[in-house]
Order: sequence, then structure tokens, then C-alpha cells
Amino acid sequence: MLDSKIPGGPLAEKWDRYRFAAKLVSPANRRKHTIIVVGTGLAGASAASTLGELGYNVISVCIHDSPRRAHSIAAQGGINAAKNYQNDGDSIERLFYDTVKGGDYRSREANVYRLAQLSVNIIDQCVAQGVPFAREYGGLLDNRSFGGAQVSRTFYARGQTGQQLLLGAYQSMMRQVDKGTVRSLPQREMLDVVVVDGRARGIIVRNLITGAMERYAGDAVLLCTGGYGTAYYLSTNAVNSNVTAAWRAHKRGAFFANPAYTQIHPTCIPVSGTHQSKLTLMSESLRNDGRVWVPKQQGDRRSPDQIPEAERDYYLERRYPSFGNLVPRDVASRNAKSVCDEGRGVGESGLAVYLDFGNAIDRLGAEVIKGRYGNLFDMYTKITDENPYKVPMRIYPAIHYTMGGLWVDYNLMSTIPGLHVLGEANFSDHGANRLGASALMQGLADGYFVIPYTLANYLGGAALPAVTTGHDAFGEAEASAQAQIDRLLAVKGTKTPRQLHRELGAVLWDEVGMARTDAGLRRALERIPALREEFWQNVSVPGEKNNLNKNLEYAGRVADYLEFGELLALDALHRTESCGGHFREESQTPEGEALRDDENFMYVGAWEFKGVGAAPVLHKESLDFEYVKPTQRSYK
Amino acid sequence: MRIHLKVWRQAGPDQPGRFVPYTAEDVSPDMSFLEMLDVVNEGLIAKGTDPIAFDSDCREGICGTCGFMVDGIPHGPDRGTSVCQLHMRRFRDGDSVTLEPWRARAFPLVKDLVVDRSAFDRIIQAGGYTSINAGGPQDANAILVPKTTADHAMDSAACIGCGACVAACKNASAALFTSAKVSHLALLPQGQVERYRRVVRMVGRHDGEGFGSCSNEGECEAVCPKQIPITNIARMNREYVKALLVDRDQA
Amino acid sequence: MSTFGRVFSSSVGTKVLIGLTGLALFVYMLLHLAGNLLIFAGPDTFNEYSHTLISNPLLLPVEVGLLAIFLVHVYKTVRNYLANTAARPTRYAVKTNAGYTSRKSVASSTMIWSGLVVFVFLAIHIWQFRFGTFYETGDEVAIRDLARTEFEVFSHPGWVLLYVVATLLVGLHLRHGIASGFQSIGLDHPVYTRRLTLWGIVLAVLIGGGLAVIPVWVYLSQ
Ligand SMILES: Cc1cc2nc3c(=O)[nH]c(=O)nc-3n(C[C@H](O)[C@H](O)[C@H](O)COP(=O)(O)OP(=O)(O)OC[C@H]3O[C@@H](n4cnc5c(N)ncnc54)[C@H](O)[C@@H]3O)c2cc1C
Ligand code: HEM
Ligand code: HEM
Ligand code: SF4
Ligand code: F3S
Ligand code: FES
Repeated sequence: MLDSKIPGGPLAEKWDRYRFAAKLVSPANRRKHTIIVVGTGLAGASAASTLGELGYNVISVCIHDSPRRAHSIAAQGGINAAKNYQNDGDSIERLFYDTVKGGDYRSREANVYRLAQLSVNIIDQCVAQGVPFAREYGGLLDNRSFGGAQVSRTFYARGQTGQQLLLGAYQSMMRQVDKGTVRSLPQREMLDVVVVDGRARGIIVRNLITGAMERYAGDAVLLCTGGYGTAYYLSTNAVNSNVTAAWRAHKRGAFFANPAYTQIHPTCIPVSGTHQSKLTLMSESLRNDGRVWVPKQQGDRRSPDQIPEAERDYYLERRYPSFGNLVPRDVASRNAKSVCDEGRGVGESGLAVYLDFGNAIDRLGAEVIKGRYGNLFDMYTKITDENPYKVPMRIYPAIHYTMGGLWVDYNLMSTIPGLHVLGEANFSDHGANRLGASALMQGLADGYFVIPYTLANYLGGAALPAVTTGHDAFGEAEASAQAQIDRLLAVKGTKTPRQLHRELGAVLWDEVGMARTDAGLRRALERIPALREEFWQNVSVPGEKNNLNKNLEYAGRVADYLEFGELLALDALHRTESCGGHFREESQTPEGEALRDDENFMYVGAWEFKGVGAAPVLHKESLDFEYVKPTQRSYK
Repeated sequence: MRIHLKVWRQAGPDQPGRFVPYTAEDVSPDMSFLEMLDVVNEGLIAKGTDPIAFDSDCREGICGTCGFMVDGIPHGPDRGTSVCQLHMRRFRDGDSVTLEPWRARAFPLVKDLVVDRSAFDRIIQAGGYTSINAGGPQDANAILVPKTTADHAMDSAACIGCGACVAACKNASAALFTSAKVSHLALLPQGQVERYRRVVRMVGRHDGEGFGSCSNEGECEAVCPKQIPITNIARMNREYVKALLVDRDQA
Repeated sequence: MSTFGRVFSSSVGTKVLIGLTGLALFVYMLLHLAGNLLIFAGPDTFNEYSHTLISNPLLLPVEVGLLAIFLVHVYKTVRNYLANTAARPTRYAVKTNAGYTSRKSVASSTMIWSGLVVFVFLAIHIWQFRFGTFYETGDEVAIRDLARTEFEVFSHPGWVLLYVVATLLVGLHLRHGIASGFQSIGLDHPVYTRRLTLWGIVLAVLIGGGLAVIPVWVYLSQ
């Protein structure tokens, strides 16, 4: 059993008690501690800036050419906070409850409660930074409602909330760079964690411009490297997103929790061909006015305007009369898949459903619709060359977010002492399904408000003898990272990393995607090692190691996905229940909804690495629900 | 379709560069421009030759990573569109297209179509923030901000830092980028405290990086994927004058 | 650095100075045009006007100020041009105008050349008029017969041509310059800026065209 180190006391007092009991580092001593922050997304940038403000000596690395470009920048919809500015019945307790329920009772109560408490401070902090959140005419902050909640608690900045929040954090971080507390080292990819005497004491990075291996030593390492959605090749994630940093840490001893919890977003622009490099999200808010349908007839190839009303199947409205088109993401996605599997999908590939604004336009007029969704419609038109004011949009689900990640305790510390994991890279707060607008909240809570306390608690309590980059452990880690690079260049095969990644993605999407079966997962577990084998026999990585070589970087990430993919399938195989984003066809209610098995699976599954191809060892953290009673979710 | 490409290839900043012709076959009109280049690169990689280096990340026009000259226009011919969102249906079968990196003294070349834009980070570092520590701030609704003010600030804050403005400007000026950040913060009440110090420091850094000045040609606005208007530049100049006249401490 | 130093060295300070001096010169050109158009009212009216100017004791300081403005404008624009050229050491092989809202025009692309030609012209012009042949006229008091100087100069087609070219170049310079000057000094307005851009072009045409008409008319009327 894993110890999550949840502090004692009533739920609402745990964090306060923790903060009072936590050890501190005195201001004069802080600059003697070097903290390495890997990643500059919401989690990483907020952590780096805050630790810099406190006076720590921070080193910040990221793979992008500027810290401002981290994938968080792409978040559109908004960020939740229990401000209750709308006076509509919101509270910390309600945000806590919604998040636990939304996560299908697979998250840790204490963490979620802390998150809900801190959500309030995030908005204050961001507004003070100058984040231009949407306002009402009276000058107060505006809110919108988002899936899975009955209150309006989502703060937003047009369709660019992630961008504005990230720029706020990035700017704060650059302020610390100016002050000399943070050293920003972009265009560096972390390839290994250096563990000395059982503690994380440094990292090995590859300078992506010069190709040189660099060593950085410190007293703690913070991994804020985002999610692994691109394992599926096609996802809404940015193309450089990767599991590499987390995976290499896993190989050094950090347990990987719940990798099978992946989120599939129902409203994305469908795939148009094999050239496709990524998928584009269309905000969930579209389902407020758009109606989802497919033809009743199988293989009906008529254009949508030729299909009379009576021959359309508004399947969400039919099956879920009370929630209709607004069912949660996992439910909407699964239903889209099942109608397409029945052969009723639309578009050239048959892998799409209509999202129709015809009724809404008739009712409200095109102008109103334009005011609400104009920029989304424009984006859709740019990509598909179709006019959604006239023709229904075609949408299909796509991988969007990963709830799984490195296991951390209440301190956000992994099973390697000193290695902390923040943001999407950890597994912590969203259970088996994340609600819209809560990833941004978690990243910023971790960075601005949690880590300053828990890190001090660690530093204050640990014996940390001075370690330099000359230590043998650095030499060993660097050599193994270098060996991998040399090995990639030496294969000189004929297949491109992208081809192999695409094949891996297809396996994961088909077998470990929206609906998973025992047989399918076993197939995946055969296919993935074979693909890995093929990769190392036949990958082509031209060019040199000592300058910018994007294909070499990419090949390294694909290599890690080919190892990670196996764990993903294995975790999905072992969890024979359905919960949240993890749907096992064997475990469903008579109506076809996800059926949890609380008796056997009310735990976090954290995997310990035992070698490539060797069976990992499962460790469990049991989940105790003291305050929320797990029930069957229903959206009928 | 078939597209003929002339691509600037340069192995490194100190190596000589030249245009190399490539042909992209079987280009689908639904491809984005970068996906078309992916296909060209796949062919090069499969043959064991070094692919064309270009950078991208989000591929939906928000991260600002992508960008190069497409036939002499940053991000290509479509209005308000970054090159990752430019689609091949914009082109015809048999078209020839020339690709060149951003060129500016302050953006040294890294490789092929990739340049180093870290100068932008240093401009932000010089003052593109409010000096607020985590934990201190008052309630978010304590200061009212008129909706129009917030909207204007958002218009300026939408800049993705791609560098197209510099690439388009005959003076390789980063006036639009710098002024967008100056404006965003000068408009909001939260930005008032450091208003003048900010503009003076950011302009100073802008110049130190080797960008040129603004001759008000507005090419930058026309190519900006976020259509940031040059009224921001006027505002920056105004702020600068006020800083020198009004706030003697900062000048 | 001092305020003064910043104005003189920074990119924005430089442009503010160029804008201020440019706009001052623009105003001068307006006045100059108005004054010179009096030639159409006959030599006597014109001479009276110029006499009022010449005999005013304030003229000298104004002239010195004007010279200073010119020199600052030229010095700053030339330095600025060199700095801007240095900001892009490698030129593009292909560079196309962006279109859409761009204000790039022949005028904006040739500011330094139209300016330099005008600068050379100016030396000649001042030598011809300010320090040119001094005729006298007048019934009671003798005043300078500038009209006569003018008719003399513009009897040569070569001079006429030079003046026409130079004044049209001034017009071209101002076609971009007027709106640009306001933008540089930060005077910008959601409504008025668009009108200003338009009026700037109208005034540029008026100034360039109006001045160009004078030598042609004088030549033809002889
Ligand atoms: C299209 C889209 C829309 C979304 N919309 C919303 C929304 O509306 N609301 C919401 O709450 N959430 C949303 N999300 C989810 C949310 O954006 C992410 O979960 C969140 O931003 C993750 O932040 P992060 O800081 O953990 O990681 P990221 O922002 O992914 O940052 C990762 C960082 O790590 C660095 N890095 C990665 N690998 C390495 C390595 N090997 N070495 C060194 N550095 C490395 C990268 O350079 C980057 O700086 C959305 C996600 C997507 C894809
Ligand atoms: C009749 C005389 C002149 C008038 C009325 C005039 C007017 C102006 C105006 C209004 C501007 C716009 C200012 C701005 O962009 O901020 C300008 C710009 C400029 N002027 Fe002049 N000018 C005159 C003479 C000259 C001369 C003699 C030169 C010689 C070098 C010159 C060179 C320039 C240049 C290069 C610019 C553009 C500056 C830039 O790139 O931003 N001008 N002028
Ligand atoms: C056809 C056009 C022009 C005519 C007929 C004309 C006429 C004159 C005359 C008659 C004078 C003498 C005034 C005096 O000595 O007091 C003069 C002076 C001057 N002109 Fe012009 N001018 C013309 C164009 C220009 C242009 C284009 C410029 C600017 C670029 C210019 C700038 C000046 C200046 C600076 C002086 C000196 C003023 C002084 O010292 O008081 N003129 N002009
Ligand atoms: S102002 Fe526009 S062109 Fe310039 S960096 Fe920002 S987004 Fe790019
Ligand atoms: S193109 Fe250049 S000249 Fe000014 S208006 Fe834009 S910076
Ligand atoms: S790749 Fe992100 S803006 Fe183009």
C-alpha cells in the first residue's frame, strides 16, 4: 500500500493544519537551495516564478524555443474557481463535490478539496497579473457554465484562456529571470533524472540547438512536463508534447499511476486523411446550441440537407432526455463511436457525426450564433472549407487529456524523494475523468500555492549533502542518455519515426481508446512490443546529433511511447471495471453506461518499472471516501 | 496537386545557405501547409537525408512557434492566419512557392527555416509584467474594470509572439510586439503602477536587441496572425512621451 | 540616461523627434504654399506680403529655428535609416507586400530618397531666393522685388523642371509623412485617425500640386 501522507483532521482543515505543521526554509537559506523546474506550462511557469519570488535559486528548462509556448497556451474554454460571484449556490464544497463525482470516484478527496480551496486564490493572483478575463458591463468578472456543473464558475478570456493564464505565469517568471532568481534555459529536453543516495538531485538535458548533453544539479526536481495524449499520435495536444520526461523518471523509480485514464473529447474536427498531424478541438460550449445527429439509415450517403427530419436520429436527445446534447464528455464520445460503429457515421470516412446549428439559427438568428461562436466557426471553416452556418459541422471524438500520470502523495512528491510532479504530468486530482476547465485550475494551484509549502517541508526535513554535477550518478545518467541518441542514429533503417508513431497511435486508438475489451487489450499488448522491435530495427534518423535535429528529438519521444504504450494497455487490461474515461465493454449497465466495480477497484493503480518488456509491479493506494458517497453516475 | 518548393537550406548560422528545390506530390487541398512539408520531410527521412528544419507545436495558431516566409509574406497570403493554419486549398496544382526564414539581426538563424527569437523573451523580461508576488493580491473583483477596457486589453494581449511583425517590417522593427504588451498592461488598472517604467525599459531592451524603429508602414498589422493593430504602436509612443515628461523618476 | 539622451537615442524617441520636426515642416509648407500662392494675385501683392515678412525683426530667429528643425529632421532620419538598414543585414530573396490593411506605398518606401532630393533642392532654392538677386521696387519706400527674382528664375525651363520635381517629391513625402507623423508622436484616435490619413493624402496632393503649379504658371505667363 502506498502512503499518500494525507494530513489528519477534518477535510476542510487538512491544508491549514498541514501548512502550520510544515517545516520552513528561512529566507536567508532559500537562495542556497537550487530547484530544478522542468517544463514551463501553467504548472512549471507558476512554480518557477513563485519559488523565485520566495528567493530560491531556480533553474527552469523547457523544450520550446520560449517558455511562453508550452502546450497550456492552447486551452480555450476557461478555468474554474469557487468564487460564487454569480450568487448561484457555488461553494468550495460544491466544486469539491462536482470534481470528485466528475472523476467517477477515483480521485483522492483531500487533494481535490485543497484544489477547490485554492481555486479562489488563483483568480485573485491572475487578475493582479493583468490577465484580461472577460468582464460584465458593470466591471465585474464574467462567468460561463461548463460541462458537469450546475453553477457558473468558469472564468474565461475569450477562447484563449490558457494563453492568457500562461502569459501571466510566463511574465511573472520572466520578472524573476530579470531579478536573477530564475535561470531560464529553453530548448532543452530532459532525458534523465539523476538520483543520488535515493534522492532526486539533478537532471540530464540535451541542448536541442547544439546537441550537447548538459548536467544540472539541485536539491529538488519539479517535473511539470504535461500529459501523454500524443501517445495516440492524433490528439488535440501540441505535436511536441511527450511522455519522455515522465517516462525516464518512471524508469528511475517513480511509480506511474492510472495510465489508462485518458480523456476523449467529443467535439473535435474529424480526421481528413493520413497526412493529418493533429486534431483540433472545437469548444465544448458548442453543444449548448448545436444538436448532434446521424441518419437513421445505415450507409446513408445523402448530403445532410437532403435528409428529412424524420430520417434523422438525434441520438443524445433520444437516449438522455434530461441532459440531451449536454451529457459529459465521456458519454458523448462513446455514443458517437457507437453510432459510427453501426455504420451510421457521416462524411467521407464515416467517422463523424453532425453537430447541427440549423435549429438554433432559425430560432435565434445567424447574428446571435455568430456572436456566441463566431471565432470557432471561422476556425472550422479555415480547416474544413465548409460553412457551418449553412452545413452542419462534422465532429468526432479525439484524445484530449490524460488523467493518469506519475504517482504523487499529498506533497506532490513522487516515489523518488525530492522528485515532485505538478500539473497534467501527475495523476492527482481528476480521478478517472476530468471536468472541463479544471486542468488549468490544477496546474496553477500546484505551482502558485501548493509547491511553495510542500517543497519547503521537504527541504527543511531532508539531509541534503552538497552534490555537484561531477558525481558518478551524473556521469552514468548522461552516458545512458547519450547511448540512446547514438543508438537511434545508428539504426539507419527505412521507416520514419512518424510512420511508426502513427502505427502505434492506431493500435492505441483502436484497442485502448473509447471502448476497451479484454481481447483488444491483449492484441495491443502483442502489437506494441512488435512495433518497438521494428522501431529499433528499422527506424530512419538522418542528420547529426550535434545540431538542431527535430527528427532525432521526435524519434526519442516515439521510442519512449513504444515502451509507455505497453503500460497503458496493461493498466487498462488489469482494471476490468469501467470508470470515467476508462470504458471496458465487459463492465456496463444494461443501458450501456459505465459500470464501476467499487468493491475491487476503489484504488489508485501505481506501477513500478522493472525493465523494458518486463512485467511492471502494481502498487495500490486505496481510496477512502469519507465525505462523498460514491454512486452510479446518471445523466438520463 | 503537385507543388514546387524552393526552400532555404542552411545547416547552421555560420554555414552558407542556398535555395533547394523540392516537389511535393499528391498534395491534398485539406492539408495544412505544415502537413504538406511533413510529407516532403517524410520522403527525405525515408531516403536517409536531413529533413527541412522548421518549427511548430500547437498547429492551431495559438502558440506562435511556427512561421517563415511563404512567397515573401510572413505566414503566407491568408489574412490573420499563422502558417500552421494556412491550408493547401489556397494553392493550385503546379504552383511554385518560395520558403525563407524570418530575417532580422535580432533573430539569428538557427537552421533552415528556424530562427532564434529569444530577443522577445528579453523584451518581456525588461518589464512586460506586473510586479506581483503570489499570495499577496486582494480579491479579484475589488477593482472594477470596464468591459470595453478589458476587451481592448485582450485585443492587445492576444499576441502570440511569433515574430511575423518583425519579419514583415522593412526595418525589422519589433514595435508591434513590444507595443502590444505595453498596451495590454497600460490599459488595465493593474498595470498602472509600473506603467512608465515599463515602457521605457521595454523600449530600451527592444533597441538593445538590434530591432529597427517603426516607420508606420503597417505591414506588421497586415501579416499579424492575431491582427494586432498598429494603434498599439501609437499608444506605446504616447506612453513613452508621457514617461519622459510626466514621470521624471523613471526617465 | 537623461530624458534628453533617451529622446535622441531610443527608437521611439527618435521617431517622436522625426514626427515632431516633420509635422512642423508640414505646417511650414502649408504657410509657404499660402504665401507663395499670392503670386497669382499679382507681383505687388506678393511683394507686399514678402516685405511684411522680411521686415519683421522676428524673422531671423524664426529662420534659425526653421533651420534647426530641418537639420534635426535630416540628421535623425538619416541616422534612423542607417540603423534600420542594419537591423536586417541579410535581405530577403523574395519579399512581397502584404496588402490588406498595410499602409506601405511608393511614398512610404521612398521617404529617405524623396527627403534627400528635397534636401539638395533646398540648398539651391535658398541660394536662389533667400540669397538671390536683390531687386528693388516700391513707390514711397523701397522694398524687395521678389516677384521679379521669381519670374527670372522661372523663365528657364530647367529650373522649372527642378522645382516641379522637387515640389512633387515634397508631396510624395507628405503623402506618407502626415499620417505617419501623428502616429509617431502617439496621436491616434479610433475615428479621427482614419480621417486624418485621408486628409493627409489630400493635403499632400494640395501642397505638392499647389507648389508645382507656381513655376509652371510663372513660366507660361511670360
Ligand atoms: C486543445 C486543448 C484545450 C484545453 N482546454 C482546456 C480548458 O479550457 N480548461 C482546462 O482547464 N484545461 C484545458 N485543457 C487541458 C490543459 O490545457 C492542460 O492540461 C494543461 O495546460 C497542462 O499544463 P501543464 O503545465 O501541466 O503542462 P504543459 O502546458 O503541457 O507544459 C509542459 C511543459 O513541459 C515542457 N516539456 C515537456 N517535455 C519535456 C522534456 N522532456 N524536457 C523538458 N521540458 C519538457 C514543455 O516545454 C512545456 O513547457 C486543454 C487541453 C487541450 C489540448
Ligand atoms: C519639406 C520638407 C520636409 C517635410 C515637410 C517633411 C515631413 C516629414 C514628415 C511629416 C515625416 C513623417 C514623420 C514620421 O514618420 O514620424 C517625415 C519623415 C521622414 N522624412 Fe521628412 N520632411 C521633409 C524633409 C525631409 C528631408 C530633407 C529629409 C532628408 C533626409 C527627410 C527624410 C525623411 C525620412 C527618411 C522620413 C521617414 C522616417 C521614418 O522612416 O520613419 N525629410 N518627413
Ligand atoms: C514652387 C515652389 C516654391 C516657391 C515659388 C518658393 C518661393 C520661395 C521664395 C520666394 C522664398 C524667399 C522668401 C524669403 O527670402 O523670405 C522662399 C524661401 C524658402 N523656401 Fe521656398 N518656394 C517653393 C518651394 C519650396 C519648397 C518645396 C521648400 C521646402 C522643401 C521651400 C522652402 C523654403 C525655405 C526653407 C525658404 C527660406 C525661408 C526663409 O529663410 O525665411 N520652398 N521660397
Ligand atoms: S504582434 Fe502579431 S505578428 Fe507580432 S509577434 Fe505578436 S502575434 Fe506575431
Ligand atoms: S511594418 Fe514596421 S514600420 Fe512600423 S508599422 Fe509595422 S513596425
Ligand atoms: S504551430 Fe502554434 S501557432 Fe503555428
